[in-house]
Amino acid sequence: MPPGYDCDTRFITAHHQPAVLIDLALSRGIDNHQLLRGSGLFYEDVISGQARISPLQFLTLIGNAQRLLEADDSSFLFGQRLLPGHYGEVSHALTHACTLQQALEQLQQFRVLLSPLLTPRLFLDERRAYLYWTDNCGIGNQQRFLTEASLTAVVAMSRRLFGERLPWRFHLAYPQPRHVEQYWVHLSEQLTFASHMTMMSLPLEYLHKPWPGASATAGQVAQQASCAQLESLGWPGSFIDQLYDHLYANIREPLNLERVAQSFEMSPASLKRKLHKHGTGFQEQLDQVRKHVALYLYQMKGYSNDEVASYLRFNDTTNFRRSFKRWTGLAPSSLRQLFQS
Amino acid sequence: MKSLLKLHTLTLLGLAFVANLGLQVYLATGQIKTWAEINWTDVAGEGGSAVLALAWLIMLLHSRPAGRVTRLLALGLACVFFSWWMDTLDEFIQLPELAVWDNWLETAPMPIGLLLLTLGIYHLNQEQRAISQQMSKREKGFREHRLFDKLTPLGAAEYLRQQVQLALGHAQAEQQPLSLVVVDLDDFNTINQHYGQAEGDAVLQAMAQLLLLNLRRQDLLCRLAGDRFVAVLPNTGETQARMIADELQQAVASLAHKTAQHGERVHLRASTGTVMAFDEDAEQLLKRLNLNLAKTKQQLPRCA
Repeated sequence: MPPGYDCDTRFITAHHQPAVLIDLALSRGIDNHQLLRGSGLFYEDVISGQARISPLQFLTLIGNAQRLLEADDSSFLFGQRLLPGHYGEVSHALTHACTLQQALEQLQQFRVLLSPLLTPRLFLDERRAYLYWTDNCGIGNQQRFLTEASLTAVVAMSRRLFGERLPWRFHLAYPQPRHVEQYWVHLSEQLTFASHMTMMSLPLEYLHKPWPGASATAGQVAQQASCAQLESLGWPGSFIDQLYDHLYANIREPLNLERVAQSFEMSPASLKRKLHKHGTGFQEQLDQVRKHVALYLYQMKGYSNDEVASYLRFNDTTNFRRSFKRWTGLAPSSLRQLFQS
Repeated sequence: MKSLLKLHTLTLLGLAFVANLGLQVYLATGQIKTWAEINWTDVAGEGGSAVLALAWLIMLLHSRPAGRVTRLLALGLACVFFSWWMDTLDEFIQLPELAVWDNWLETAPMPIGLLLLTLGIYHLNQEQRAISQQMSKREKGFREHRLFDKLTPLGAAEYLRQQVQLALGHAQAEQQPLSLVVVDLDDFNTINQHYGQAEGDAVLQAMAQLLLLNLRRQDLLCRLAGDRFVAVLPNTGETQARMIADELQQAVASLAHKTAQHGERVHLRASTGTVMAFDEDAEQLLKRLNLNLAKTKQQLPRCA
């Protein structure tokens, strides 16, 4: 598998997600030169339909828009217009999805085209569906903006295609901001801030309800076309995504920088450099995956502390507790309440 | 807001012309000093003052529409600038000892300018009172332009929080009830979808005006976020607040908003919630208000 995109790979179609933000800013009377300053992008290029930009350029654009719009609701308004969007076949596929589950699976499969900066990951237990989000190219201090936009995008899409507001619950990986009222209005009142992951969840029954506007055949054709488009790009996600998946799949093996670098056919130094470029490090990535695996085991499998410890190859629980505290800042037992709230 | 400087091109051109004329007159009659003769402390003091006066003038013209008050203030500042400008010039140009008129050019504009400024500020005061009158129900005893909402002529959430905190203090001190009403449009997102974001914005602006009209003198309306508005009702108990909420709801339902493009009627419906303040802070009270609204919204008939 070729290594996925980096933060400086130019693949985001400028007249897709970036244009949504540009249009929002222009409709609020922002000057397009100021908006695009420092992004290496010109408005004429966007119009031409040929321009592709990198995650870093997109982040610059987001920073500019945020500064110029100077309003707490920018990210939410941006999010409302993101999905299903006007991104060609892949938007068609979403619009014609038969159920929310299908839409969320497509969102995950076509994330390069639909959500290039934050990776959505779907998992289900017997009662609820969870959609959690991971940073895939070092979004740094735009974390909050992108989280707000991504969550709003899914909420707005499901409301729009299903025809009613769904009872989503939210976990946010940062403390409660001043503008919490924006969350009330655009997301829901069911919010948990300073949580361990960015996640939204919903009772399982909503996942299978048929969507009124669906068209199975048209949807299938659009999905095939989207697959072909993904194929031509060459990768289904970013390098950080691939690393996450690799670590997740091999979490029971002894993992270190050297071995993992070898699996990716690169030298430890290059892997280190690559991670550094994305504002992260090997240990941080490994800890994150371990935390997510532990959460999965507690919640989905109902494992006890001992079982989780032994699954993750810890010889004794004391050691596990200590490590767990380092990953999350909490004892394992208190984390189990994460999903119950 | 777009710069208003264009409205005042004539004023600025006039000032440039007069300043240049002053310079020409000095050059024609006097002699340029040598470097050694120039007193740089004076240049810095007088020149600096002139620059500041010019900056005030430009900031003033930048932010104000044309009109009587603007004219008075601008003329006053222009005179002050001119006086300091001539003062600065004579640091560079040696005038003949006998000339008296140069003194007049330097000194006379100053008192005239200050008089005009005083007159301008007096009228500005009157104008401000008139504007404050128009701002009633939208601000209460405290102005902070950084807390203005970007879309509607109301205060935003942060302003609301501060005002609720103040109102809670008053209510406690005077042993009077305080209530809050929240108004939220149903299916606002479908309006955005059908008619576009610009029309959605227009609906919100119309809503703001409509709700203001339906409130009492002592009430305060703010935009919380999105399509959600909150009114602070001092000296109001639960029953009365409920009544006002119903009135607001009816007002929204009978508002015949027409779209900008085709003049099509947009049917609006709103949900409301009310709370009366107990022993709690602004944050908790607002949270309770929103939970109250969420409960009401859950009982809405679902419409696809």
